[in-house]
Amino acid sequence: MMEYALFLGCTIPLKMPHFEYAFREVANILGYKFREMQGASCCPDPVSTQSLNVDTWMTIAARNISLAEKMGLDIISVCSGCFETLKTVHVLLEEDNAAFERVNSVLKKIDYEYKGISKVYHFVELFSQDEMLEKIKSAVKIPLDSLNVAVHYGCHLIRPSKILDVDDPERPYKMDSILEALGAKSVAFAAKLECCGFCARLNEDIGFKLVEDKMTELNDLETDVDVMIGVCPACVSQYDRKERLLSRKTGKELDIPILYLAELMAIAFGIDTEKLSLNQRSVKPTKLIEKLKV
Amino acid sequence: MTEETTMSSKDLDHDLRYEISDKVGAKSLLKCIQCGVCSSGCTVSEFIDLQPHRVVASLLLGLKDVILSSNAIWTCSLCHRCTERCPKGVDYSFILALIRNLAVKEGKNIPEEYTGTINVICENGFVVPYTGGLRTNIDRRRDRLGLPRIEPPNLEEIKFIINETGIGNLIKKPVKEDEK
Repeated sequence: MMEYALFLGCTIPLKMPHFEYAFREVANILGYKFREMQGASCCPDPVSTQSLNVDTWMTIAARNISLAEKMGLDIISVCSGCFETLKTVHVLLEEDNAAFERVNSVLKKIDYEYKGISKVYHFVELFSQDEMLEKIKSAVKIPLDSLNVAVHYGCHLIRPSKILDVDDPERPYKMDSILEALGAKSVAFAAKLECCGFCARLNEDIGFKLVEDKMTELNDLETDVDVMIGVCPACVSQYDRKERLLSRKTGKELDIPILYLAELMAIAFGIDTEKLSLNQRSVKPTKLIEKLKV
Repeated sequence: MTEETTMSSKDLDHDLRYEISDKVGAKSLLKCIQCGVCSSGCTVSEFIDLQPHRVVASLLLGLKDVILSSNAIWTCSLCHRCTERCPKGVDYSFILALIRNLAVKEGKNIPEEYTGTINVICENGFVVPYTGGLRTNIDRRRDRLGLPRIEPPNLEEIKFIINETGIGNLIKKPVKEDEK
């Protein structure tokens, strides 16, 4: 039975519900069943909460995981930030008994108990399993053969691999294998594994530089790139927003759209694209819409 | 040019390295061999005044003020390449988080971007505001897509955890009606 506790986090359900819509539709077609994690909070975010106090970060995360434990289910995450927090805390608490006790002594006072029995998965991990790739292939209604896609893995899906254990950290392939199952071509490029810079919150120049470097390389490739895909709402919003700002600032024509992987899957599965608000992006996926006639 | 300074042993914090390496996830700190792989792959290396391997060296030497006054501790982009590539298994990005924890504990220039977020979490349960008119708009958008209603957490529980784990002092107290 492919039933999971669905951990939505904050950014996707509250700011990008069209990502959630695409994900739920796609997962439903692939045969997944979800239970909603009522009362779950922010994962909490691996940038600020962890930076302020590791115990606060671990305890709030353990509270969230314990909700899935009560349901007797493993967790599926749709955001790399949430995935990083929940999985890392799960691993840290497994390794460190003192921290496990400390976290539980706080949780006990609000009637929660963290046991460490629910596993945490990112949807890329599950969708890229062999039998699921076959299912994806047979669910495709609009093959993406005409598309050249740039894959952005994003840091918090693959690193540190010792903890997250999703993919090869230097030569990841799982997102590419999903894309290939959809029929699309994944283009090779040097900056593929570079960070989007979203988490370097104190200096916007860092994000601008990283987005400019990656997008300039993609623009200069011999192959025309139709779209870039990501699996983290922070990365996706970072490229979408900064690319437009950069074009204005530098005069370069940076116009490669970025979509959430589940959105591209939804398009390939023939799901009504109206609900995906494809035209409400800073960089509209015009070429893709024309090529696929969606 | 690097300026040469001489420090006396009594100006060093000799316990610092153990204070950090004692923590969950940071036990590997003492294994650093100063090879510099972390710095060579660092995403933000051109934006920081102290490279990762120098931060670790300073930590091992007990140069607390040097570390806490460096912009390296809050400029990290959390790409985790340092941790990924370290041949000795030193989890630098996590150690940096522990150094930020230390800065918070000592009340040293904590950026508002960070304290702001924990306040939003405390008031909403999420990093995105979900109260009043904003909540109505979010709910309406979700309804249009046929998505289930959001059941937010009990905020008292989140506040309790924040207080109990020692950063309640970072939460801005809401102004009460009679104090306005």
